[in-house]
Amino acid sequence: MSARTRRPSRAVVLGTGLSMAVALSACGGGESASGSAEGDGVVEVWAHSGQEAEAEALEALVAEYNDSQEDVSVELTLIPESDYTSTVQATSAEDLPDVMEMDAPTMASFVYDRKLVPLDDVVSQETLDNRIEGVRESGTYQDQTYAVGMFDVGLGLWGNQQLLDAAGVDAPTTADEAWTAEEFGQNLQKLAEVSPSGNAIDLGEANGFAAEWGTFTTTPVLWSNGGTLIRDGSAEGVLNSAENVEALEEWASWKEHTDPNTSGTAFPDGDIALTWTGNWMYPTFSEALGEDLVLMPLPDLGNGTKAGHGSWQWGVTPAAGGDEAAAGAFLDFLHSDESIARMVEANAAVPGTTSALEGSELYGEGGPLELFATNLASACSSEEVTQECIAVARPITPGYPTVTSSYGSALAAIWGGADPQAELDSAARAIDADFEDNNGYQDE
Amino acid sequence: MTTTPGLAAPASAPEDVPVAPPRRGLRRDGLAGPLMAGPAVLLLVLFVAVPFFAAVGFSFYNVRLGDPRDPTFMGLTQYARIFTDPDVSSRFLSALLHNLVFAAVVVPVQTALALALAMLVQKSIPGIGIFRSVYFLPVVFPIALVALIWRLILARGDDGLLNALLGFFSGGAFGGQDWLGSELTALASVIVLSIWQGVGFQMVILLAALQQVPADLYEAARLDRANAWQRFVHVTLPGINTTLVFVALYTMILSLRVFDQIYVLARSGGGLNEDATRTVMFEAVTSAFDENNIGRASAISVVFFVIVVVLSLVQRRATRERED
Repeated sequence: MSARTRRPSRAVVLGTGLSMAVALSACGGGESASGSAEGDGVVEVWAHSGQEAEAEALEALVAEYNDSQEDVSVELTLIPESDYTSTVQATSAEDLPDVMEMDAPTMASFVYDRKLVPLDDVVSQETLDNRIEGVRESGTYQDQTYAVGMFDVGLGLWGNQQLLDAAGVDAPTTADEAWTAEEFGQNLQKLAEVSPSGNAIDLGEANGFAAEWGTFTTTPVLWSNGGTLIRDGSAEGVLNSAENVEALEEWASWKEHTDPNTSGTAFPDGDIALTWTGNWMYPTFSEALGEDLVLMPLPDLGNGTKAGHGSWQWGVTPAAGGDEAAAGAFLDFLHSDESIARMVEANAAVPGTTSALEGSELYGEGGPLELFATNLASACSSEEVTQECIAVARPITPGYPTVTSSYGSALAAIWGGADPQAELDSAARAIDADFEDNNGYQDE
Repeated sequence: MTTTPGLAAPASAPEDVPVAPPRRGLRRDGLAGPLMAGPAVLLLVLFVAVPFFAAVGFSFYNVRLGDPRDPTFMGLTQYARIFTDPDVSSRFLSALLHNLVFAAVVVPVQTALALALAMLVQKSIPGIGIFRSVYFLPVVFPIALVALIWRLILARGDDGLLNALLGFFSGGAFGGQDWLGSELTALASVIVLSIWQGVGFQMVILLAALQQVPADLYEAARLDRANAWQRFVHVTLPGINTTLVFVALYTMILSLRVFDQIYVLARSGGGLNEDATRTVMFEAVTSAFDENNIGRASAISVVFFVIVVVLSLVQRRATRERED
């Protein structure tokens, strides 16, 4: 019996122990790259598999590249999105593939872990010069380029014109016309009355506010109220500022009219009037609602309307070794206008190059999603959020995993009814303690 | 720490058996026992002892997941934080409390419910196999799937199946409860769905035990004019006592390592109130894989190990007295 009762502890120890074995092996290596110094003509690639259309487009691009030349063969491995970041984190640098995808805010942490190499001499100058501002910013850390992106994303407020008309609410179309917090609250009330579900909006609750989605979707509310997550590697007095507390009180007050969207299709089915989500939903929404779909800026809490950006992007790892040139050539291929056009056709993202953006039917002048492109044209960093800028990137710091994890926990608690001040105080302390333990993540 | 009844048995068993001459050689060398135990011991050392001692070691260092730098020595800082730092310790202690509340409710309730179900499906009427299968069905589902199903039942607002049902029967007077998000009902909701998922397994074990109670004992009890309740207390319960103890212990073990349903409901959009439901396993896993803090996760695991050892010693003593 005693052996049986000890089982849970074994499970704990086993689980942690295994992860530690992984961590240990990560500590051991460093210099010896698994790819031979000569280059073996095989470029291993890891990418996330989220939306089906996106993964299919990438597979088609890889197949096309392999058919187009004979020197290099690209081997693509798709990893489910929910496990992707932790998989890369738990893999030692020498076991990584030659080329890997990463979500924008995780880039600095992978640089700190020596899992990325600077791309300035790896990809062509043309690829670097052609990037749009948002992609350039997301890929730069300590004045060096570590990542290039095929596309960027935008966050916006989508409306159902029929329901807006029924409630007598006018939809803003430009950033200057964005609803104020007061108008937004009143409109939610009006729209809830005319919406079949009795609720007005979907805030993406079903994606989980404790996960990365929570940080991505609520930071525009903070920025728009004059707050931000961290400044100069410190959260005390920044994350728990009066602006942020006020912003999240406002955000939590919307819960009354928020639909939990358990079906996943409340907005396209016309059950609710508004949804707060990104450009990637455009294909679904426009197919369901057609002409009734309207895109609006997020509400302005005082410091101008803001929107998050930063999406999946590509980097080269130290494991590439002698295959670096081949890896760079493959990335150049991915970032050609033709490849990007095929990718954004699948995921409706904002094209990541200026030339592809200009020619885009969706994002070009007069296109239905032009607002997202306009937002990205005035991008700024989360350390200095001005009244004018609209698209703001999440903090680029190696400590980001702790920042988003602590903030996400606070967010979930606040949504559940906890006191915003107390939750943000606690999150700020956790973040600062983590930075202190790691010497401020100074990359010595 | 690796003594199990299974390991001790092969070495001592031959003593009781009349010894057959050909086996003498092996016995004299004393090789049979160690040889047979070897593979199991090797695996236990590799997957239990080594990781455990590694965890103890890691807990003294600031080990980061994926960081190639040498970890810095922190001494007992991680342990001090678990017990004294207001943020870290409040999270750890509340996690521990949730584990204990979970166990305190689930062990008696689930065992009693499993027994009731087992007695219900013990009757041999036509089609009883269907009922047995239906009650057992949730056990076959992965707990992550169960969490997703219950997410729909417990969803807040009028969309939730439970809210819709309550609203219908109360004529709209009752509804709109946020079962998973509210501090008051979050843990209770997790307990309910965990029992729903797990009860079928205990039911099957208890059913097997019930069927082993000799029928003539019941017959004798009836002749003595014992009523149904007296037959239950004086024939059924003593007959399945050892199985009941096993089931309670087994449930206790599962309660201490509860993790999946909470992680799924909190992290994939169930809107579960994390502060009201986090468990020690949840805390260890999120420290390690969300915050990359292997050092703290190790310290939490080591402290939890000690707590579980103490609990199991207490339990062992209590059950021994009952078995004697």
